[in-house]
Amino acid sequence: MNHRFPMSAGPADAGQMERELAYYRRECNTLGAGLLRLQEEQSQAFREARRSRTVAKLIREAYRLIDQSDLPEELGPPMLATVLENTLCDRAALLQEHPRGSGQFTVMHAVGLPAPALVPVLLPVVPAFFFTTSRSRIEPPAYQLTAILRVPYILWSYDETTGTALILGNQSESNVSRPFEDADQEIVEGALSVYIDITLRKRAEVEMREARIMAEEASSTRSRFLATLTHELRTPLNAIIGFSEMMATGSRYQLTAEQVGEFNTHVFKSASHLLSLINEILDYSALARGRTPLTLRWTEAGELVSASLGAASAAAAEREVRLATELPAQKLWIRVDRTRFRQILDNLLSNAIRFTGAGGLVGVQVVVMPDGGLRLEVRDSGIGMRAEDIPRALEPFEQIENPFSRSVTGTGLGLPIARGLAQAHGGSLVVESEPGVGTTVAVLLPAEAMHRGAAPPGGRSAEGSDPASPAGRPAEEAGAKD
Amino acid sequence: MLYRVGVIQIGYSRHSDARQAVLTCVKPLLGHRPDLVLAFCGGKLDPGTVLAALRDTLGDVPVVGGASAGGITRQGYGYSGLELVLIGFSGAEVTPRLVVQDLLPDEMAGGAALGAAVRGVAEDGAVVLLLFDSVASHLPLRLHPASHIVEGFHRGLGGREVTLFGGGLLTDMNLSDSWVFDGAVLRHHAAVALVFPPGIAVETSILHGCRPISTFMEITRIDGAEVYELDGQPALGVIERMLGLRLGEAQGQELSLVATLGQKQGDPFAPYDENAYVNRLILRASPATGSVTLFEPDFFPGAKVQIMARDNALMLDSARNGVAAMNRAIEGGDNLLALYIDCAGRASARSGALTEEAEVVRTGLAEGVPFAGFYSGVEIAPFRGYSRPLDWTGVLAVLRRRG
Repeated sequence: MNHRFPMSAGPADAGQMERELAYYRRECNTLGAGLLRLQEEQSQAFREARRSRTVAKLIREAYRLIDQSDLPEELGPPMLATVLENTLCDRAALLQEHPRGSGQFTVMHAVGLPAPALVPVLLPVVPAFFFTTSRSRIEPPAYQLTAILRVPYILWSYDETTGTALILGNQSESNVSRPFEDADQEIVEGALSVYIDITLRKRAEVEMREARIMAEEASSTRSRFLATLTHELRTPLNAIIGFSEMMATGSRYQLTAEQVGEFNTHVFKSASHLLSLINEILDYSALARGRTPLTLRWTEAGELVSASLGAASAAAAEREVRLATELPAQKLWIRVDRTRFRQILDNLLSNAIRFTGAGGLVGVQVVVMPDGGLRLEVRDSGIGMRAEDIPRALEPFEQIENPFSRSVTGTGLGLPIARGLAQAHGGSLVVESEPGVGTTVAVLLPAEAMHRGAAPPGGRSAEGSDPASPAGRPAEEAGAKD
Repeated sequence: MLYRVGVIQIGYSRHSDARQAVLTCVKPLLGHRPDLVLAFCGGKLDPGTVLAALRDTLGDVPVVGGASAGGITRQGYGYSGLELVLIGFSGAEVTPRLVVQDLLPDEMAGGAALGAAVRGVAEDGAVVLLLFDSVASHLPLRLHPASHIVEGFHRGLGGREVTLFGGGLLTDMNLSDSWVFDGAVLRHHAAVALVFPPGIAVETSILHGCRPISTFMEITRIDGAEVYELDGQPALGVIERMLGLRLGEAQGQELSLVATLGQKQGDPFAPYDENAYVNRLILRASPATGSVTLFEPDFFPGAKVQIMARDNALMLDSARNGVAAMNRAIEGGDNLLALYIDCAGRASARSGALTEEAEVVRTGLAEGVPFAGFYSGVEIAPFRGYSRPLDWTGVLAVLRRRG
């Protein structure tokens, strides 16, 4: 069926023309409106899709940040930049609650905020998720949360486990930044979760790196220790084996009686050295494992020092080193394991004498500290050490070069054992030294381990029993502190 | 070897720390110490820190430009507000002279004073880049009308022929704030004009993207930028009928996302040509008065306008075609800088386009032409022989040495 389009033929058809024009106008506007709505729906759909993609994009970009930062603390700013770029918000901040559960938050990182608040923000209620719109009532927590970013429209997420919170904010609800809504929970919680996750990962990575370095150092130290130990043990053993072999029945060596006597002395000295070495290794090992039992008794400090000086006087005389002592007039009692504390003193004196040249001076001084503790120091006028060598001197088998006694080596365990024993007594050991001037090693005991007076606490002599303990009870034992 | 004088270099960065952003961005500029730096600074970067860091790294060089909703370069682009674009001009042959003018209390008078000052330093045919602070007030939101500034500028020129292009500066897409760098400090309510040396010419291309969706309507009542009536009926009601929905306060604010008013230049019944339209974005709608507020106050009673729909496909086509036309125009020339002044509304986040049109421009532009740009509030370009402000356009301008 054919439809003929009405044709205008003259003025009489003007009305028809008007109708036709009106028709086209109407249709044009209707089609235009449809096109506009279609376009807008398409744009809206795309913006919605863009929001859905935001979380995925955020996660993807955030995980890349792990490789771009060295420390977990450095992740905050780039994370916020990533969040802002994806959400197109005006401002954003990461907050940390401290103490956990207190509702007191500090802004750790902020972007877009001219001057982030330095004072903590106290939230009476800490919601896990929250947002404000133009219809929100300004009451807690909206009041406090909007104050953080100083904008009226905020989006908040809080992770109770870590005490971390993320807040995003906009100046207006119009244009690009549409009003926040429930659906935004996915974005803000997603962003916060990712941030927490990458921070934990980075922290774990840093800890793992540090642990690896420590393990490598420990492994290196252990290897060095074992190498030195092997060497230290092998040297006297070689001497023992060698001289014994030479003196053995049927030996090819024709030794004189004098040589036998001399070699026998070498064997004896090497064996003795080996024994003391093994004893010290066992001591050091026990100290390192915290398994050194101490029998603490009140002992007169001056008497202990004198005994130790007396024992060292022969070695000092041999090396032409003078010994001196300076003790307080008043008697001082210290609560120590006498044997172990003597061991500290003997070690320190032995070291001081060995590292001091002929004509030098080694002095022992006992001082009461202002805090009531005791400082017992052994000072020498020997070769001294550089500051950077002091930590090494406190490590096992790490001997500082000694120009006075190249041929006579110590075990290299004396100072580490002395320090371990001082710590086992609840005290400490400090080393001060200056090359060419000398070294001072001080043992510090806490106030509770010292007593001034003619008699020890309890009024009885300390020797043989613990005056602090009821008669007949065994003396107190204390485990060494590592 | 041909010795060339005058160098233009471009830097780009995106970093939440303003100082770090500068340190990264400034690196490409260190090869030739710039005599002037044009900076487009993301609105979330602290401008004081940016200026101080620029001084630390480049010395006492004039820094002009200002806030931008985002930055565009070959190296990267974005509109997070953390982008920084630096363009360094080294050598008298390429370095523009700077003129600064306050816009308040009267933008028309401010524009005229700026034009008069430019007349004093510009030669005939000079290229002038105009940048100004877009936001005049926040509550209520009012923009510095570019049409008044430009009209005043032309008056102030007093017959001096210049090629004017430029844009309005914004800190973000939500029109939150704006500011300019005037060469020394940060300023509000000011415009800066960069007058290029006589040896520099410019080629411009306007990239559009709106299509008429209504018949012609006459503006029957208008006061400045406030359009009260179209064809004798409340303007908002007319638009609501077109959209098929009723706009409340909140939705009214989103009108600028949806439609514009377009005025066709020349023969109204000539076939559709995107280059024939001047579009005006809708800043807001007022249900109480039944009016809509346009970005610019340059429409007048009796003007025939059409409701225009942003068409993303058309926008991308326009970008492709405009860039292709530009490539043909600049082929073989000594091209120094392609500057893209891109309406922030064209960004995908706001327009809803599936493809970033800045990406189309960036990848479409002939290789070897240094390229930089920023997301703007309004664009200014020669339009039918007369520079005027435009909405929802991209202005691609290529500075080149005159043959």
